Amino acid sequence: MKTTSTQRTGSHTTSLPGRRPRRARIIASAVAYLITFVILLPLLWIMLLSFQTNENILARPFSLSDLSLANYRQALETLDLMVMYKNTLILAVFSVTIGLVVSYMAAFALTRMVFRNGRRGVQNTIRYYILAGLAVPVYILLFPVYRLDIALNLFGTHAALILPYIAVSIPFNTLLLTGFLREFPEEIEQAAIIDGVGLRSMAWRVVFPLMRPVVATLAILNVIYVWNEFPFAVTLINKPELTTISLGISQFQGVYSVNYGAMMASATLVLVPQLVIYAVFQRQVISGMTAGAIR
Amino acid sequence: MNWLTTRRTFTLMIAPALLIYTVYMVYPILYSIYYSFTSYDGVSPATFTGLSNYREMMQDTVFRTSVQNTGIILGIAVTLLVPLAFLLAVLLSGNVKGSAILRPLVFAPAIVAPILVGLIWIFILDPKIGLVNALLQAVGIAIQPQWVGGSTLSPYSIAFVYLWQQIGFIVTILYAAIRMLPRDVMEASTLDGATRFQQLRYITVPMLRESFGICTALVVTGVFKIFELVYALTGGGPVHLSEVMVSYMYYVTFTTLQYSYGMALAVVVFVIGAVAAVVTLFGMKRRAAA
Repeated sequence: MKTTSTQRTGSHTTSLPGRRPRRARIIASAVAYLITFVILLPLLWIMLLSFQTNENILARPFSLSDLSLANYRQALETLDLMVMYKNTLILAVFSVTIGLVVSYMAAFALTRMVFRNGRRGVQNTIRYYILAGLAVPVYILLFPVYRLDIALNLFGTHAALILPYIAVSIPFNTLLLTGFLREFPEEIEQAAIIDGVGLRSMAWRVVFPLMRPVVATLAILNVIYVWNEFPFAVTLINKPELTTISLGISQFQGVYSVNYGAMMASATLVLVPQLVIYAVFQRQVISGMTAGAIR
Repeated sequence: MNWLTTRRTFTLMIAPALLIYTVYMVYPILYSIYYSFTSYDGVSPATFTGLSNYREMMQDTVFRTSVQNTGIILGIAVTLLVPLAFLLAVLLSGNVKGSAILRPLVFAPAIVAPILVGLIWIFILDPKIGLVNALLQAVGIAIQPQWVGGSTLSPYSIAFVYLWQQIGFIVTILYAAIRMLPRDVMEASTLDGATRFQQLRYITVPMLRESFGICTALVVTGVFKIFELVYALTGGGPVHLSEVMVSYMYYVTFTTLQYSYGMALAVVVFVIGAVAAVVTLFGMKRRAAA
């Protein structure tokens, strides 16, 4: 930063050149750190409580004596963490993979395929039909999907959730993929066609590898959605062996009642792994989650 | 590409997505709309009753409370979230030391499952076991407000928690927008002797109009999706006083099993949410053009 603005004579200038930037910078930094700390406080607080005894939580929550791992022992005994993680992982892997594959195929057909008559009317109509789904809140789908799963004999299986998760992901996947595929240079396709490439290889071997950044962004976004999803899970899961992480969390209050320490230990056990994964992939996670809003 | 395009291949490519989307998204919406005009308990066949569910809604005091609470949350979120996020984004885009570490930390609440957020905030807001009242007591303030679970403060608390969860997300969007502002304008204004505040007021804010519009629209649509926070923090209670539209819809449909009335509520939430988002975007665009 240059601080040689001593030539300024405008009457607006109230600063003392050379001094203000440094002091302002220290104050700004202090404020920024304070705000960040306040934002993180709730997360730190439950982590602290997870080491407290129940008596301390109720009477002396700020006391730092008697911290122990007893809550974690109890949480691990009560909670079927493995089942929660396994189910959530199954749902995430299947719905995100299938969702991306079908979305990519559709987006490819909607943007790269050209009919001999040159008309794009059908493609544009289908594209808008799918994009309209962006405006749909999932809550209107809960009861109909519940009935649909029963009618299709899927209720009580992972597919009962995988299908709506795929459906919900299709509009945004299509929005982003068609956006990028439209700008795909025709020359690469033409060169591939001259080399005798068929449609399938064109879509998956030539174009898809170049779409990797978008696909990665969408994959992260979709995994976070499925990982945190609650409304469908609470509506469509009817047996303990299908419990997901979110659904498990919603049952903590019922399971632990007033055993707050164990409840917080359980919350920490699902929170910390997620924060660690976030810390590793934070750049991709942030760009994935803001993909729709930042160009 | 027209060498490889046939009607058959095109259909095969598009069919899977179109099928899943139609069966699990479009059909359910039509289903909801249809059943909202009927009387249906899930057992006996639905009978068409026209607008009676919607008329019932007008008389339903709990529905009115839920609309009011949603309105309170919307008002707080719209007036506070974007401006606060903007200030924080400005702060972080200045030369704060370690801004690259602070930004992902500020964003962190956005990746936590909303249901877990609700659970965490019980331990902050609960009148008996919460951090806030413990702090009040520790500094010698005798009042112990019922932040959640009382009769008045719940929607405000829920708005605050929503604010907490979303602020990093909005900060990130605005931060990116601030970084994309053309540098020469700032430099020119510095040479002209503009203060930092004047630059903010007359350059940064007007140039970010579009981003403000996007953020406000995201906040508005987000408010109509709040469900888990209410579910975990208050369960809509006591006696439905803290219900928001979505949580009430859920209660009517899955607890009292009044399916057709629940569907009517879902349709109304859908329509109000969509209209609010369109109005926000449209209004912001017009202001930006003016």
